[in-house]
Amino acid sequence: MLRTQEYFLNFGPQHPSTHGVFQIILTLDGERIVKGEPVCGYLHRGIEKLAEARTYTQVIPYTDRMDYLAAMLQNLGYVQAVEKLMGIEVPERAEYLRVISGELSRIASHLIGIGVNALDIGAFTGFLLCFREREKIMDLLEELTGSRMTLSYARIGGVADDAPEGWLDRLKKLMDEMPGYIEEYQGLITGNEIFQARTKFIGILSPETAINYSLSGPTLRGSGVNYDLRKARPYGVYDRFDFEVPLGENGDCFDRFLCRMLEMEQSVRIIQQAVEQIKEVDGPVIGKVPKVLKPPKGEVYHEIESSKGIIGYYVVSDGSNKPYRVHVRRPSFINLGYLDEMVRGYLLADVVAILSSIDIVLGEVDC
Amino acid sequence: MLENLFVGIAQWLRALLGGVGVPVEINEAIVMLVKLVAILVFILINALWLVYMERKVAAYMQARIGPNRVGPKGLLQTTADIGKLISKEIIIPKKADIAVFLISPVLIFVPTLMVFAVIPFGKNMAAIDMNIGVFYLLAIASLSTMIFWMGGWASNSKYSLIGAMRVVAQMVSYELPLVLGLLGVIMIVGSMNMSDIIAAQEHTWFIFTQPVAFLIYFAAAVAETNRCPFDLVEGESEIIAGPYTEYGGMAFAMYFLAEYANIMVICAMATIMFFGGWHAPFGLTFIPSWVWFFLKMYALIFIVMQLRWTYPRIRVDQLMGFSWKVLVPLALANIFITGIGMKIYQAMGW
Amino acid sequence: MFGKGLIKGLQITWKEFWAPKLTVQYPDEQHTVPERFHGRFVLDVDKCIACGLCANACPNKVISIEKQKVGKKQYMTGYKMKIQYCLFCGLCVESCNKDALHFSKDFNMNQYFYRDIPLVLVEREAPAEPLEEEEPAAKAGDKEKPKPKPKAKAEKPAEPAAQTEVAAGKASDKEGQ
Repeated sequence: MLRTQEYFLNFGPQHPSTHGVFQIILTLDGERIVKGEPVCGYLHRGIEKLAEARTYTQVIPYTDRMDYLAAMLQNLGYVQAVEKLMGIEVPERAEYLRVISGELSRIASHLIGIGVNALDIGAFTGFLLCFREREKIMDLLEELTGSRMTLSYARIGGVADDAPEGWLDRLKKLMDEMPGYIEEYQGLITGNEIFQARTKFIGILSPETAINYSLSGPTLRGSGVNYDLRKARPYGVYDRFDFEVPLGENGDCFDRFLCRMLEMEQSVRIIQQAVEQIKEVDGPVIGKVPKVLKPPKGEVYHEIESSKGIIGYYVVSDGSNKPYRVHVRRPSFINLGYLDEMVRGYLLADVVAILSSIDIVLGEVDC
Repeated sequence: MLENLFVGIAQWLRALLGGVGVPVEINEAIVMLVKLVAILVFILINALWLVYMERKVAAYMQARIGPNRVGPKGLLQTTADIGKLISKEIIIPKKADIAVFLISPVLIFVPTLMVFAVIPFGKNMAAIDMNIGVFYLLAIASLSTMIFWMGGWASNSKYSLIGAMRVVAQMVSYELPLVLGLLGVIMIVGSMNMSDIIAAQEHTWFIFTQPVAFLIYFAAAVAETNRCPFDLVEGESEIIAGPYTEYGGMAFAMYFLAEYANIMVICAMATIMFFGGWHAPFGLTFIPSWVWFFLKMYALIFIVMQLRWTYPRIRVDQLMGFSWKVLVPLALANIFITGIGMKIYQAMGW
Repeated sequence: MFGKGLIKGLQITWKEFWAPKLTVQYPDEQHTVPERFHGRFVLDVDKCIACGLCANACPNKVISIEKQKVGKKQYMTGYKMKIQYCLFCGLCVESCNKDALHFSKDFNMNQYFYRDIPLVLVEREAPAEPLEEEEPAAKAGDKEKPKPKPKAKAEKPAEPAAQTEVAAGKASDKEGQ
């Protein structure tokens, strides 16, 4: 009788497809996964602790460093939390600029999400073509904010600066081209039978488990749960835009991938509407904010829909100019919680597909 | 003149050696040696050029330019890379089986080189015109499985081991459709001599009479060389580099170059079996036959490269399923239909 | 039909093969740097009043300002940035009330030695006594080599800011700080 034996495989932290320094200790039976134990923390920088020694404004650049692929959305969550705590009014033009830059960040992040998903499955060209368009978005964001990735654009009470001359026209032009590019990805990646065979009915996540595990973002909506904070609890000026929330059917890797792809189209729609609406709004981009921010004693929790899921900021104030505690609900980290059960029973190659369909950013997982 | 360039060189050499009074046997041996060395040099240079071509093709499909700094248009990039790799240390893992670990990158080129001896690159341009050429080629080409397995096993790494297991599974199961696909052509020609097969395609290439066989052969051959979409052996996003994970420096480069030499073999083979070898299409005979051969070969190589840069990688169970559930039955059906067709053909007495 | 997506993919890559390429061959050709680019800092020394707002606004304590009392006024003798810790968030530039601190478009801040990394925007000696009368005199560009002579002549280097760092860096080397 042949005796078989399970074995361990250290998948990461130095591995090309763990999106950074993430480790999964896999227990394998041949190529089949028996157990996958995620190990994170290799990129821990103590951002939450650092925030306690910074003034309220100074925390903003640190939030960039969490999900550096969609930095604006991280900024936005934090500043809105502080604004909620202090009761600061934000000028309308600033709100629109926040929406535009936030949605641009979301498209950039989703482009990486789908590109890396394709790359992990083996389609290199899809990855680089996604980067091509991301580059254009980065150029636009650079013109707006001065930085490409770590934008630090949002300020408590508004945004750092108004859009430069002609920027909105350039933005509109790119957004008009965007559907064509998305169609190209659809042809190259989504429509490909090999890609579908690799991702359909892999890593199935039922709606109930997704809710029970508190998953969010495209990971949740891929399972067919219609929960997008921009629709469910609109923040900022999101209630003024007309967009849909794309949903998946089976909750497999392909649905999560497709959700991101379709969400980009919706983001393009939002930006197009915002560009139209912002023309009628004039005024300052930053509201009346005291020089030294000293929020009243108290605590606040505010969450927004980031590109990876719901990012929540919990800010406690003790009345001084520095936050007593800042805690971040990081969607990448929470979405990883179900990874072990999700990979069980699938093959080694599926681990890569499942992990990249969750679309994590290690800067956010480890914070 | 150009047509018989290489044949002419061989004859000139033979005459030269005969002129100075070298016995006929030694004369022939020297000419044969020169031929083999020429093939060796040709393969190595071609492998270097193919690496460059792959990088350029990939770059162009990805809105990039690709290597363009070393030499004119970056042509010396791979040469420089090889120079760098030669100067690097070959790191041997602590628990590796050192002898096997080191010998397998050396051996990896052997089957490829042996195969090239029988390939006719032009009219009368096979180094050895063997009467069982196709059989020899298939038999030798399948030897490389062993060498990949040696490398993967000797590395004593789990990633390498998984890669090596995949090599064996993949190559063994794709040998079968490869052979069965070619069988249709061999049945029609009735010979396994490559020159005979090419001669039989003077009027109609077998791609037109045996299109299914070509598709089967091409899919299986791409799988045999571990190219995308069947590159599970390397599977860089899953098992990093499969059997080569632990190799560095020139040992890795040997595997790498062997991959390109193998692509050349399968594309040369496809040219011979399905695209009329060195026959010129449309009566364009003023272009030398070997130029035609290389044109066809490089066109096929381009397709192999385009496949790699377009498709994702399939999974290991799908790979096996594709071989046993699709390719093998199709190949058998193809053989059956070819046999019936041939019988009808004979009965009609055309 | 099965295989349609595969052929579509080949069509797309074939089309891309002939499409224009986007690579910018960096040292030969360069991207245009936008107006707001967060590059190397420049300090308008004349405008700066050494109030220290920028140093306080910095989340990472990158900026250090050295001041010396000359007469009744504060005189800035040093403005240094430990640029290796800089987040390039722009909070310091924003906090400046006098519009003295700016970003430049220069992104090339790499140095061969670690000790050269800190960005020295101002390094000078304080004048011995307050001299307010001669202000337009400090216009000349002959400040390439700052002579450390604390004589009665007030040395007020109003060099072009881009050169300040280099010149100051040399000076600090000579002085062996």
